[in-house]
Amino acid sequence: MNGRVADSAGGGAGFGQPQGGEVLPGRRLTPLRIAALYAIVGAIWIVFSDRVLAALVQDATLQLRLQTVKGWFFVLTTAGLLYLLVTRLVAELRQRDERIRATVESMPDAVLVVDAEGQVVEVNRAAVQLLGATGEAQLLGPMTALAERFKLRRSDGSPFHPGDFASMRALRGETLRGYEAMIRRPDGRDVYVGVTASPVQRRAGERPRLAVAVVRDMSELRRFEEMREEFLATAAHEFKTPLAVIKAQAQLLQRRGEADPQGLQVLNRQVERLSRLTHQLLELSRLRLGGPELRRETYDLGEQVADVLERLQALAAGHRLSLSSREPAPVYADRERIEQVLVNLVDNAVKFSPGGCDVEASVARLGSEVQVSVRDQGVGIPHDKQSRVFERYYRAHAGTPEDYGGIGVGLDMSREIVSRHGGRMWFESEPGTGSIFCFTLPLAEGAAHA
Amino acid sequence: MPDRGRPVLVVEDDPDLLALEQTILADAGYRVASAADGQEALEQVEREMPALILLDMRMPRMNGWEFAREFRARHGDACPIAVITAAENARLRAQEIQADAWLEKPFELEEVLELVALYLGPPAPPPTSPAPPGP
Repeated sequence: MNGRVADSAGGGAGFGQPQGGEVLPGRRLTPLRIAALYAIVGAIWIVFSDRVLAALVQDATLQLRLQTVKGWFFVLTTAGLLYLLVTRLVAELRQRDERIRATVESMPDAVLVVDAEGQVVEVNRAAVQLLGATGEAQLLGPMTALAERFKLRRSDGSPFHPGDFASMRALRGETLRGYEAMIRRPDGRDVYVGVTASPVQRRAGERPRLAVAVVRDMSELRRFEEMREEFLATAAHEFKTPLAVIKAQAQLLQRRGEADPQGLQVLNRQVERLSRLTHQLLELSRLRLGGPELRRETYDLGEQVADVLERLQALAAGHRLSLSSREPAPVYADRERIEQVLVNLVDNAVKFSPGGCDVEASVARLGSEVQVSVRDQGVGIPHDKQSRVFERYYRAHAGTPEDYGGIGVGLDMSREIVSRHGGRMWFESEPGTGSIFCFTLPLAEGAAHA
Repeated sequence: MPDRGRPVLVVEDDPDLLALEQTILADAGYRVASAADGQEALEQVEREMPALILLDMRMPRMNGWEFAREFRARHGDACPIAVITAAENARLRAQEIQADAWLEKPFELEEVLELVALYLGPPAPPPTSPAPPGP
């Protein structure tokens, strides 16, 4: 009867809840109604049945015997009614259960339900198929065992900490969308999956006792993405040879004094611009393809920030680039890639403060991380465009007076680089006042507590 | 070893770029040999061992990787190789074939001359004391 109680208490007509009374058409039977009906019928029977019997039968012996029969009649009738009621309720519950079960079973996406102890307690047919298992039993049990058996790992191949499994995070109350992972089926095929996970809660704020994860095979989509990236990489690569020819020819003409110097300057500048864009495209697609590997070394990030500022100061005569504060911050990182990130952030700060104001950077240690911030007093980013700033090819200032060109891959690439180092990148911006872009990197091993 | 007698061998499949590299180096007073792919380069090397090879990586018939492997097998370290490539990471490509130096396309004209000067000494007039070899 519990299901009934929950339904009447829960109220709303959600998935799996009966619409109106199904036990007695037209009337919804609640436990209270059943009990009240029983009490009323019982009370009427007790009060009136003796009187009716006394009025109909005068013989005392017969009356006594009929009273016993009457008692038995009451007991048997109520027992029969109880039986009918219970069987109908159970049948209804079973029907709902089967309906939910059939729905989950028919879903084309894999569904896994994990309980608070981290045990997989329910899976559907699609889950068995996706994982290439022979039966549901293979998937039930501890989530960690499942993760191990099917080599669950991040999309870049690095291992998950069990606490980071989507289902475990959902059990802590998080709702996750677009969580990416890789699994390996027993037949050796790697499957790239997208996971959506949410806590199962009957009421908001309740500590979830179950989490449900919906897992979708994204391998096809991923292959398509890879093809696109590969095409981009090839195209960018093919651009470089003609660029090299134009650049070398222009420089040769300049060297021989055979052409108008101003014209050559324009040529050189445009070639430079085109090759920077080509380089960005190529780098970005390479990063997305998972390669090349980071070439990490231990070095001081503060020093690198200072170097980049000094170098870019030469190209930004109208601006004052400064390092407001700096702490020793040894990082174990790919120097070239982090430099790309820094150049990108400072370049943006300069580009989007056309008046020529201060660009201020800082390097600060926070626990086991170092945080780099680049602040400008420029045009800022309109509020309605802020959510798309990290999107690839998105240019918040496209078509405005502040459109300074570019292909809109700088920030996407920067964030990708930072995240591959285990850091984060974010920004705050106020239109008309300026922006601050920050990123963190983990401090080099052993330096965190030094 | 700086040697103004032996030529610089430019291996490049793009005819325009090949001609340009030749002109740049010839203007500076270097002797230049050329090849349009790895196969041709190998034949050139058989005719005359250059003082330096400027090697493109992606080429038809025989690419830079194949050429470097074949060259090392036949001639060992008889001549330094500098990679000039449009690939996204010239340094890595250079490491792959154990090249002595690398340049990324598009390059600066000065960079090519500096690179060659490093192995063959500065452009004419010939130096009295040769520049030290190798980066």
